Amino acid sequence: MGNEARPKWDSPIQFLLACVSYAVGLGNVWRFPYLCQMHGGGGFLIPYLIMLVLEGVPLFCMELAVGQKMRLGSIGAWSAMNPYLGGVGLASVVTSMYLCLYYNVINAWSFWYFFNSFQSVLPWSDCPVNANQTGPLEECEKATPTQYFFYRETLDISSSINVNGGIHTSQALCLLLAWIISYLFVIRGVKSTGKVVYFTATFPYVVLFIYLIRGVTLHGALNGIQYMFTPKMEQLANPNTWINAATQIFFSLGLGFGSLIAFASYNEYNNNFERQAIAVSIINSGTSIFASIVTFAIYGFKATLNFENCLERSRMLLLNTFDLAEDSITIDTVFDWIKKLNATYPEQFAQIEDKLEVCDLESELDTAVEGTGLAFIVYSEAIKNMPLPQLWSVLYFFMLLLLGMGSMLGNITAVITPMRDFKIFSRMSTELCNGLVCMFCLLLGLSFTTTSGNYWFTIFNDYGANFSLLFVVLIEIITVSYIYGMNRFEKDIEDMIGHRPNWYWKIMWKFVSPLLLVAVFIVYIINYIQGGTPTYQAWDKEQGKTVVTEYPIFGQVFIGLLLVSSVSCVPLTALYVFCKKRKQGHHDKRENVLSTVSA
Amino acid sequence: MLEKIFLLLCFSSALANQLCKPDASDGYKVRISLKTALGDDAYVWNENEMFFFRSTLAFAMRTHVSGQRFEVSNIVVCNETPRVSFWFVVTSPQNLSQLIDKEHVEEAIRKSRSRINSAFLLTDNTLEFIGIHPTLAAPVEPVTPPWLIVFGVVMGAIAAGIVVYMVSTVVRKKRKKNEKTNGDDTDGETRVKTIESGRAADGVYNLSFADDERL
Repeated sequence: MGNEARPKWDSPIQFLLACVSYAVGLGNVWRFPYLCQMHGGGGFLIPYLIMLVLEGVPLFCMELAVGQKMRLGSIGAWSAMNPYLGGVGLASVVTSMYLCLYYNVINAWSFWYFFNSFQSVLPWSDCPVNANQTGPLEECEKATPTQYFFYRETLDISSSINVNGGIHTSQALCLLLAWIISYLFVIRGVKSTGKVVYFTATFPYVVLFIYLIRGVTLHGALNGIQYMFTPKMEQLANPNTWINAATQIFFSLGLGFGSLIAFASYNEYNNNFERQAIAVSIINSGTSIFASIVTFAIYGFKATLNFENCLERSRMLLLNTFDLAEDSITIDTVFDWIKKLNATYPEQFAQIEDKLEVCDLESELDTAVEGTGLAFIVYSEAIKNMPLPQLWSVLYFFMLLLLGMGSMLGNITAVITPMRDFKIFSRMSTELCNGLVCMFCLLLGLSFTTTSGNYWFTIFNDYGANFSLLFVVLIEIITVSYIYGMNRFEKDIEDMIGHRPNWYWKIMWKFVSPLLLVAVFIVYIINYIQGGTPTYQAWDKEQGKTVVTEYPIFGQVFIGLLLVSSVSCVPLTALYVFCKKRKQGHHDKRENVLSTVSA
Repeated sequence: MLEKIFLLLCFSSALANQLCKPDASDGYKVRISLKTALGDDAYVWNENEMFFFRSTLAFAMRTHVSGQRFEVSNIVVCNETPRVSFWFVVTSPQNLSQLIDKEHVEEAIRKSRSRINSAFLLTDNTLEFIGIHPTLAAPVEPVTPPWLIVFGVVMGAIAAGIVVYMVSTVVRKKRKKNEKTNGDDTDGETRVKTIESGRAADGVYNLSFADDERL
């Protein structure tokens, strides 16, 4: 009986790059800079790095060890550790399935923006003209052109989650393309994935580096970088900072989805995963910090640009109202002139007081955005103002594509690997099995391309994975440290890599990481309960901005279903196995009785 | 005689001054932003430029109001400011005390807007007629949206790749069939695979060799 039949990575480098490609994803680009901004800039690095050491690296290494030892997907691996806990693996698969469904929609958007970058004038730089050709479209004028392009031309979003509509064809086509490419990447399992990750793991760094150079040379970039690196140490006293650091490390490394177990299961038995775990964790955090430098440079550029435009508008307003010569007020002297004119012509000044905007660089920098809003609205607004915007746009969205596709590889592998451990699916060819999964996800994913699709997407994004992952990883670490037994685990590791894990690993696995996870878990539950009715941002066409709206009943029920469906796998499977064993036990006893009688 | 001419001139200029005033019902305000448009190459706005402007407006009126020969003197300007903004009204060539209606003036300016702009090397934003909104250029709608073209290219490349892959698989299979061996190996592989996948589902962990404590 050999393990030769199980496919393998061509080399440990492929495994390392696959883990990097999976862990380094969109969250590094759009979540970490936001957290940095919210929690005191450079000071946030302290809790972040501490959490990396206390929680990130140990849990990452644990998952790799489990996968490499059991050489099975998540369901099989956890069943092997303890027959009652196969549900943990099942919960991972369910969560990964939810992720697969909605994550590729982001890639579809990246494709859409990427394709639209090949034009002489970027479509999100100007508002389209209205029907009378007298001015820009009303919706676009109230919002900004980039927002209009995202909400109207990309998503064609409806006014709330209750209002449904048809499938938006362009989005559906882009989603189809995203799934076809994902399928081609995983078509032959690790054989094809292993080759693809050479590119998807490394090329984003090339783009990030190019962007770093471009970013810091932009006018006003230094404002942003300075803003980021001035630490606001008082934020360290805020417990939310530490919780957010722990949560970010946790989700950024992609723990609990089963992807790491799946990847590690294709390793050589004696692969030194300990070193690789440390390497990947450090690379992931390093990329986050690197990406946030780039993001803050771009922020600084955009904020300075907005500030100067604001000053320019104020200047024109003053010039036009008071009919002064054009070169009498310059951008630098706007504030002085405002004071002077207010003093000398108070009545006239009062007339324009409401039209006069308050221009403040700090408040421009303070507008912190995360998620799809950052990636697709704020960034594209910054890009359209750069010289040669088409090139930068193409590069940027190509990088987003690579990051997103790289993470998708892990997600799909997390679903397929446990499936193929079962007899039904292992008889099918790899291509057919993978194709069926991709087809299934594509068809369900088309619902995210409808006019209310973005609101459903938000539900999945906010609630689909977070809570269940915390639960899953908590059970995982408790299983490994206490139920399976730390001694046995140490022996397995010694068997694989030749030496027992040292005191750092043991202390983290047994005490620190579980405690941290419990703390984060409790805070999550408290926040969820205290948060009241869950709300979302609905796009209001009339006002041209997002409005906070409560979820309707069916939305809340759906959220509840999402949470329950993955978490309940654990107790339900345990119950199922328990019943099966009891039935088996009765059956065996009866057979033994029969045999003695017959004998 | 001279006195009469003098009186007439005074009278006409006084009349003109009366006709042109800020917020005149048939007048428009013009605002010119030379420095914004031209930066360092900006010319100075002086009397000659004003003469040129009046003649441009007269040209616009002549072209679009049929029949009447407007002269430069029919364009009356007042209230010039250092901003370079001023009001103007258009008097009728036949009767100097009668103003041309706002609508006619607006129509004439709208139709000749591009000529007026280019005469002064300015744009709709830098040569403003307050109250007359510029007609925006009709959006250029390409027949196929550009993104669809790139999408088609990428899809085509992928389709080509798939075809190449399938052809190569078929060719490889044919080559394998032509060689006489490998028939048994494939069977062996599947057998091994089924056994391995069955291990976790059906097996029971054997406790006898574990020498540690467990729950």
